[in-house]
Amino acid sequence: MTLEVRDLVVGYVKEVPILRGVTLTAADGLVTVIIGPNGAGKSTLLKTVYGYLKPSRGTVLHDGREIAQIGPKNMLREGIAYLMQGHSVFPRMSVEENLELGVWIFRGNREAKQRAFSEIYQRYPRLAEKRHTLAGSLSGGEQRMLEIARLTMTGPKTLLLDEPSVGLMPKLVDEVYEEIGRLKKRRFTILVVDQNVKKSIEIADYVYVLKLGENSHHGPQAEFKERLPEIIREWL
Amino acid sequence: MDLAMYTDPSVLTEILLQGLVRGSMYALMASGLSLIFGILGVNNFAHGELFMIGSYTMFFIVATLQLPFVAGLVAAALVLFLVGMLIERGLIEQLRKRAGRDWLLDSFVLTIGLMILLQNLALVVFGSNRLGIPEMVSGSLIIGSIIISYERLIILAVAALTVLLLWAFIRFTAPGKAIRATAQNPEAALALGIDTMRVHTYTFGLGAALAGLSGALLISIFPAYPTVGLQPIVKSVAVVILGGLGYVPGAIVAGLLLGVIEAFAYFTMSAGWQNVLTAALVVLIMIFRPYGLFSSAKGERP
Repeated sequence: MTLEVRDLVVGYVKEVPILRGVTLTAADGLVTVIIGPNGAGKSTLLKTVYGYLKPSRGTVLHDGREIAQIGPKNMLREGIAYLMQGHSVFPRMSVEENLELGVWIFRGNREAKQRAFSEIYQRYPRLAEKRHTLAGSLSGGEQRMLEIARLTMTGPKTLLLDEPSVGLMPKLVDEVYEEIGRLKKRRFTILVVDQNVKKSIEIADYVYVLKLGENSHHGPQAEFKERLPEIIREWL
Repeated sequence: MDLAMYTDPSVLTEILLQGLVRGSMYALMASGLSLIFGILGVNNFAHGELFMIGSYTMFFIVATLQLPFVAGLVAAALVLFLVGMLIERGLIEQLRKRAGRDWLLDSFVLTIGLMILLQNLALVVFGSNRLGIPEMVSGSLIIGSIIISYERLIILAVAALTVLLLWAFIRFTAPGKAIRATAQNPEAALALGIDTMRVHTYTFGLGAALAGLSGALLISIFPAYPTVGLQPIVKSVAVVILGGLGYVPGAIVAGLLLGVIEAFAYFTMSAGWQNVLTAALVVLIMIFRPYGLFSSAKGERP
């Protein structure tokens, strides 16, 4: 489903907006990547889309519905899932308990829960093997996989990925991007923010550049691949 | 002092039981405090007043209405569950919406204020008399030279059962898992659709119910009066520090341990020294194991 952000203004303090009128569209079934220098407001944008921050101006539309006010706890039901920056596993709970919390919104619907579990264990056999391990004792790469797997359990249509490869060693970064590639094939609408500009542009269909809370450039991936060195030079 | 006294099984059992009875109160109080701290980041200094409301509820049900003691225990737990949820929704949640950067200090001021308010309210409504019940049940279990009153056995059994139920609730039920998730990563819990505001409310209710239950359970030792909660709160704050802030199993073990240590101190030194010993233990823990007895120096827990 298409996600549209229109003229979004938001900040942690009213007088200092981080986003100063950002507009972008993550088209249905495509990967849209947002890049930009530090402080451009990329993560703030995803946080606002997921409802952690309330915009002081502008709208967020998912499949045409206004969602800026519904708050994070209703987002999975709306069909949007969010991979937050940093750790989002529950470290002192087992892999299985983490996945159970992933289908929290199916509470009381045993059938839907079981279906989600058998599908996730089929798709990620490593998680099935480690189901009784505490999430905190998994390796960094395995934790990331658990987080990504948990994201899709309730059958969302749109995924927001905030820095999916940050803090991982190069080999694991490749694995994470392979996984995002698989999600792309499954036709999720994906909006990605990542420090790893090169990797993220490779899987992108469409790219937006933000600068100091405002739109800077945007265009289809092919266009960006050539102009990338020039754009990055501008940031420095 | 006569050393033979220490090897006398009846004396040892007496001290140990005294310690375990006090310790089970500490454990119930401190596990509630720790739970509330772990989820809401609030150090609830009004926890002793929840204990006090529990004692009054017990007195009302058992002495005034002449109902069996079990009814008093259940009523105290239920009343405090509701009172706790009201405090969370009406005061703590309201403060959270308006709080500045220093949440610990803000909530500290709130709960200290609540403590003073509830103490004085009790003074106005009930007066300063001590309303006690001599014992919930009479009689003793006699095994050879060892005498154990049924009263103490009941206190220990109820405390043990409560701790067991609390553990099973947190470990196996959906609301219990939501509590753990919220403690470990509140933002992620919210992202998965867990209503963390509701978790806050029933966690506070649960902690309050534990305080109310311990107030009711110990009515034969601590009669109901407006400031009866002072000693329990001071000791359970110490227990929470010993067990590790926010770590419920730590609070339970540390509570029982402190009860027994105090009983031995009371017996071997003289009355009053047990408080010095407790304070000394807290200071030592803060220096050498600031995250509690059961965590590593870096704060990692099993």
